[in-house]
Amino acid sequence: MSQTTPSAFEPATKTVSPLSLRRVMVIASSSVTQLVRMKTFYFLLAFAAIIVVLMSLNPPTTPAGVLSTIKRISFGTMDVFAWLFAIVSTALLIPKDIEDRTLYTILSKPVRRIEYLIGKLLGVLWVIAVSLLVMYGVCALALWSRETLYIAEELEAMNADARYSAENVGAQIALIEQQGLRPELGIAVLASFLKAAVVASVTIFLSTFASSSLFSIIISVLVFIIGHAHTMATSFWLYQTDNSLFVQLLLKVVKIFIPNFQLYSFSHGIIQGEAVAYSLVWQMTGLTGVYLVVFLFLSLLVFIDKEF
Amino acid sequence: MVSFFRKIPRTIVVLVVLAAFGLARTPFENRLGEQLIEAKLVVPPPGMTVLDQMGQSALMATLGGLRPLVAGFLSLRGYENFSEKNWDELRQTYQVITALEPLEESHWVNAIWHLGINATANMELDRKLPGFERKRRFHNYAQQAIEFAEKGLEQIPDSVPIRKQLAEVYREKLKDWENAARVYGEMMEFDDAPQYAERFHGYFLAKVPGKEQEAYDYLKGLYDEGEHQHLPTLIFEIRRLEEELKIPYPRRIPEADPDANRARPQKPKPQALPGGIVIP
Amino acid sequence: MSDLAVKVKNMTKVFSKGLKKSDYVVAVDNLSFEIKPGEVYGLIGPNGSGKSTTMKVVLGLMSPTKGDVKVFGYDSGDIRARNEIGFLPENPYFYKHLTGKETLKFYGKLCGFRGRELKDRIAELLELVDLESAANRRLGGYSKGMLQRIGLAQALIQRPRLVILDEPTAGVDPLGSRQIRDLILKLKDDGITVFLCSHLLEQVQEVCDQVGIIFEGRMRREGPLEELIQIEEQTAMTFSGAKPELLAKVRELIEADAGATIVEEGHPKTTLERLFVSLSHATATEEKEDEK
Repeated sequence: MSQTTPSAFEPATKTVSPLSLRRVMVIASSSVTQLVRMKTFYFLLAFAAIIVVLMSLNPPTTPAGVLSTIKRISFGTMDVFAWLFAIVSTALLIPKDIEDRTLYTILSKPVRRIEYLIGKLLGVLWVIAVSLLVMYGVCALALWSRETLYIAEELEAMNADARYSAENVGAQIALIEQQGLRPELGIAVLASFLKAAVVASVTIFLSTFASSSLFSIIISVLVFIIGHAHTMATSFWLYQTDNSLFVQLLLKVVKIFIPNFQLYSFSHGIIQGEAVAYSLVWQMTGLTGVYLVVFLFLSLLVFIDKEF
Repeated sequence: MVSFFRKIPRTIVVLVVLAAFGLARTPFENRLGEQLIEAKLVVPPPGMTVLDQMGQSALMATLGGLRPLVAGFLSLRGYENFSEKNWDELRQTYQVITALEPLEESHWVNAIWHLGINATANMELDRKLPGFERKRRFHNYAQQAIEFAEKGLEQIPDSVPIRKQLAEVYREKLKDWENAARVYGEMMEFDDAPQYAERFHGYFLAKVPGKEQEAYDYLKGLYDEGEHQHLPTLIFEIRRLEEELKIPYPRRIPEADPDANRARPQKPKPQALPGGIVIP
Repeated sequence: MSDLAVKVKNMTKVFSKGLKKSDYVVAVDNLSFEIKPGEVYGLIGPNGSGKSTTMKVVLGLMSPTKGDVKVFGYDSGDIRARNEIGFLPENPYFYKHLTGKETLKFYGKLCGFRGRELKDRIAELLELVDLESAANRRLGGYSKGMLQRIGLAQALIQRPRLVILDEPTAGVDPLGSRQIRDLILKLKDDGITVFLCSHLLEQVQEVCDQVGIIFEGRMRREGPLEELIQIEEQTAMTFSGAKPELLAKVRELIEADAGATIVEEGHPKTTLERLFVSLSHATATEEKEDEK
């Protein structure tokens, strides 16, 4: 053992702040490093491959149809990536820390358990946000290149034919543009992110009392699927009177205990070219915030007394 | 107080918080859900009858929030069915696609186009099948296309592209002039209808036995709107009807003014035939 | 502020085994002990005796079912108590994807260090535990002894006043074990309180001032090490260079006394550990001289 100055052991009695954003960020960035070094970003290569395959397809349809197909598949893949990643990574991180007993050393430092939970959640969300942005970038590039190509081809073909008026040409171009790269698509990406955030907060809650990662993953996926049947459940609840008491009760339980993930599918309409009102986006963002707060609080309720 | 709360089992506290949150958010979420459906951002859940037909993959896609993704992949399968001329499978594929995304107009249009135009054309050409079978299938596919159109119009009542495609099936394949005229007639009510819809309504009405007078009055009305309606086919049709209905000469439309064509792009001159019939 | 580093008073910890109320295990039963600042306290006992549970309660990872546990006057669950504690777990578990330096950086940041201060502290600790050359290697490739040393560095990162060591030399070779023992003595010299749990009795005997023996969750004996191990009525003398005649005279004198007998006589032996360590040192010195 090498010699050292006595200063190495000088006691430092520091004060500990009640809730430190800095400690949260330290845990978050360590989770990001962990996920990155688990090589999760390799998924992006798979996504790029899907885009390349999509670009090479030449289905017998209109240019707008091709753009619509590219959008549908690439944004759909992004959406699946976001929620699946949210479930798997959140379900892996906390139980892994418990199984590996890394949690001992973290919680024996001046770290509050809520800071640990928020940090882990933020880490996962950060990776999802970055991945979504990268995928959106790739997708936007693909769409834009196809769109400009189609518009140029269409203009050339229509201008060569004297029958088409400027108005006709404009309408045809507008049709292509509606299915091309539009700023609203950014909101579709936000929708996928918000959905992933709620899924992650539910999974973090489940993994605070789950005995294994596998349990958390399976239950989270189930909750996610049932969360999509919300409106169906409502229509049963409201319009079906011949249901048994048991079914009625079950539907009420579903509605009350399981988040409504169907609302978070609002990217569907945007991808199909519908206009989106910003008030709805704000409401969805606000709702997501409330979901995060409530599920973090629930996680803390379980986690705070957990003994390791 | 704090110690009292600590004594309550944690599971009960968690369930109470979850339930309270659930009850508090439900009215807000219901309202938000309605707004999102109204803005066509969220696809309303499929009804029970549709659910029965959906099949497993589509049902799972709905429950997993994967509708656009699965619909996208199924569209590719639709193209594959088309290139393999596998029309029955194509119909099933489009049934699922349209159940997944009932508000996506292009799915309906594609389904009508594939079945009503491509499948029927294939039946006209396919020499491997006996003539009778080809005829029967031709009508079946055309009928399936019409069914798709009807379902599509239930979902998107003011759709012009669906009507356009449907009218083409009536016009080109079934030679059902009455229905073609009806569909063009419906179409012209909408702002985004093509200009030709109003003329086509008249042209095909004119071909329906017994509707000649109605067609004549309608086309004459269009003619009377002014110079912009004096198109060769319109004039040709009116003249044909004037002959057929034996309209007195003074009431007939005048011969084309030779000077009127000067400003227009040079087109081949109408060929005069005996009896004053003009071919555009 | 308390004048005690650790105060455990009537602490009981019960674990329920099943859903039934009658299905439980008493891991620690009415345990009490105190550790004064600057002291090295060894808690010894066989596996399953309640050592680890006691330690986890002191660390705030568990709360006692009954009783009081204070660290420098703070309740053991209080976050301020944890600022005063450095903890080295048995078989340290850290993120294997981090390098030695990154590990220290992570724990340093958690304790509120940053910038220059953190950088200097990391360099200082890496030097202390002799891991400068392996600082940029991932922990996945560390040996057991290296892990234990990076664990110690991690425990010391926030300059704690109390260091808790759980079986610090378990699975470490004698040389590494000696290094860790030296470090504990160094901590003691610098006035740091050390709470050591171990079942390696020789190690405890070498470094501890106070010892508690725990068995089946209860404290069986406790006190200063010297008092616990000395045999009051016996005396040992070790001679160097004594001739056989001198030894014969001593024997005669003892036999002449009615109340005294010789219990044991022979050559004192070194331990295998000491032999191993001295050989390793000798080899290392020779190699260094050869290099010159």
